[in-house]
Amino acid sequence: MFRKILIANRGEIAVRVIRACRDLDVSPVAIYSEADARSLHVRLADEAYCAGPAASAESYLKIKSIIDIANRAGVEAIHPGYGFLAENAEFARAVSAAGLIFIGPAADAMEVMGSKTSARRAAMAAGAPVVPGTTEALKSLDDARATAATFGYPIMLKASAGGGGKGMRQVANESELRSAFEAAQSEAASAFGNSEVYLEKVVEKPRHIEIQIISDQQGNYVHLGERECSIQRRHQKVIEECPSPINDAELRERMGEIAIRIAKTVNYVGAGTIEFLFSDTTGDFYFLEMNTRLQVEHPVTELVTGLDLVREQIRVAAGEGLSFTQSDVDWSGHAIECRVYAEDPENNFLPSPGRIDFLRIPAGPGIRDDGGVTEGDEVSIYYDPMISKLAAWGRTRREAIDRLRRALDEYAVGGIKTTLPFFREVVRDEEFIKGRLDTGFITRFNDRRAQRGHPAHNEREARTEQDIAIIAAALAFKHAQSESYGREICQAKSKWRMAGRASSMNKLARDRSGRF
Amino acid sequence: MKLHATIAESQIEIELHEQGSQVLAVVDGRKYDVDVRSSRDDHYLLICDAQVFDCRIEGRPESGATFDVIAGTDRYAVTLTDPKRLRGALAFGAHGDGAARIVAPMPGKVVRVLVKAGQNVEAGAGIAVVEAMKMQNEMKSPKSGTVVTVNAEVGATVNGGDLLAVIE
Repeated sequence: MFRKILIANRGEIAVRVIRACRDLDVSPVAIYSEADARSLHVRLADEAYCAGPAASAESYLKIKSIIDIANRAGVEAIHPGYGFLAENAEFARAVSAAGLIFIGPAADAMEVMGSKTSARRAAMAAGAPVVPGTTEALKSLDDARATAATFGYPIMLKASAGGGGKGMRQVANESELRSAFEAAQSEAASAFGNSEVYLEKVVEKPRHIEIQIISDQQGNYVHLGERECSIQRRHQKVIEECPSPINDAELRERMGEIAIRIAKTVNYVGAGTIEFLFSDTTGDFYFLEMNTRLQVEHPVTELVTGLDLVREQIRVAAGEGLSFTQSDVDWSGHAIECRVYAEDPENNFLPSPGRIDFLRIPAGPGIRDDGGVTEGDEVSIYYDPMISKLAAWGRTRREAIDRLRRALDEYAVGGIKTTLPFFREVVRDEEFIKGRLDTGFITRFNDRRAQRGHPAHNEREARTEQDIAIIAAALAFKHAQSESYGREICQAKSKWRMAGRASSMNKLARDRSGRF
Repeated sequence: MKLHATIAESQIEIELHEQGSQVLAVVDGRKYDVDVRSSRDDHYLLICDAQVFDCRIEGRPESGATFDVIAGTDRYAVTLTDPKRLRGALAFGAHGDGAARIVAPMPGKVVRVLVKAGQNVEAGAGIAVVEAMKMQNEMKSPKSGTVVTVNAEVGATVNGGDLLAVIE
């Protein structure tokens, strides 16, 4: 096992990796940007090194500085987390060239799967069904127009190097193509340093279902079942669960086998996820992409299988075999995770940076919170606004929802807007409770919400609560006024004191002059 | 102490009588006996008729200013004015010259400017694209008209509320 690991990331995932390091008795080394010097991941590490200014291009994405820090700290391996350099083959190569171990797949495997177009080719070679679309990056707008015409709109433009919904645009018809194409290219360039985009036909009302796999250097491959991540906004997942509400063991086995076959085409080592679109109406599924890293939503798989994916990643990277086989994997109960973002759900999920001046994290039976912030922290404009992941486990989906609802109501974040109020309504939504999910869920949910207005208690209760809110407001108002009044008195007092001092100094001076 | 409150667009009178942790409040004629505990300036635990209301304050509770009260999981925007201190209440300038001001919704970087001064635009036309937290947001014109001024420059860092363009 390693003695020391550098975590080339920030926020909740850096904290998550540090926890696995502690479990394995490995010393965690943090890096931070100037904006993150006081962050939780720094506080929890044994050593911490500044990697550069706030902008991620000058810190968390700076390969050379990170390798220099790794050498200086004397670590044996680097865990990239997710995002930033996690799927950057150049970084994986630089880590190996420096004589260190990259905790993740080989650079070659990452390159094949990292480009969505070559990943599609690999999936097809493995016999996986794929969504109609291009396997090559689009050369120009004309190329995009011609390709889209062959299988019709709507189509989806995607960044070849993409992830997290960045550089992704749905196009309903040809007139929207130009601006969407340019926007996708520009967003891809700024997010990934690669402006290549390709296009796919849109599968209507699909579920987003992904299979978690993990493998070791000895060639053992295990799948850990599916996660359903259909609840997305701006193509970013916000709620994920394991298993899917479909909960079909035969389907799980079939998708799991295909996922392993795809991973084997690139001799994949470590934790990875193969994403599929699943059509409820036909029961068909299509390969979407492979993520060659730990996923944000890995906790739901951990809660249901009882496995620790990060611990396993580190062990595998150190050359140890997987600590379990396929037949050891046992799915028990149901887990659901909400991504708590510093965003205003009342204002089109606009990011809400600022200082967290109050934080109460829920706990209790079946609750797990993977957070990266503490009270007093600043959510800055430089990074992804996710502040934590709240997950609930229960023996059944219903029990998990009950616990999640309780935890969401208990969760309090002050000073910034978060997506918590949105989740509180989702877990009370009939369609959600029934498990009728697809990627259009949020759009339909918002329509239902607009129709019924704000849910809530009965009229009398609502009026009492509003009156109480006014009373609290008046108390705070009164308190603030008496405080500023107190300050005025103090200032007045000190003015008197100053005047008194001045007059006694004058007196002293006079006395002295009199004496001499 | 008597105050005017504005909440959810309705005007409400409130009167407070404090005696230690006991507060008698009259809100629009409704009487409440409340036990108040406060561990910090922005946190008030109110118990009324054995009902628990865990309240937090966000924003500065000043006369004429709107600040938020979070009671349990519900958020209320409240504006209080002290009738004895009405000055300042008229500070809100409104200008109805029909010009639409396109402002940055949050701190970020201008990545594209899509219009030039003097250009005619349709309602919904993109004016500028601001990138923050790795997401690009297109600012659209709320109305058809002519671009009078363009303040946004590609590459410039802007603060929330900064003027990007004016459409008339």
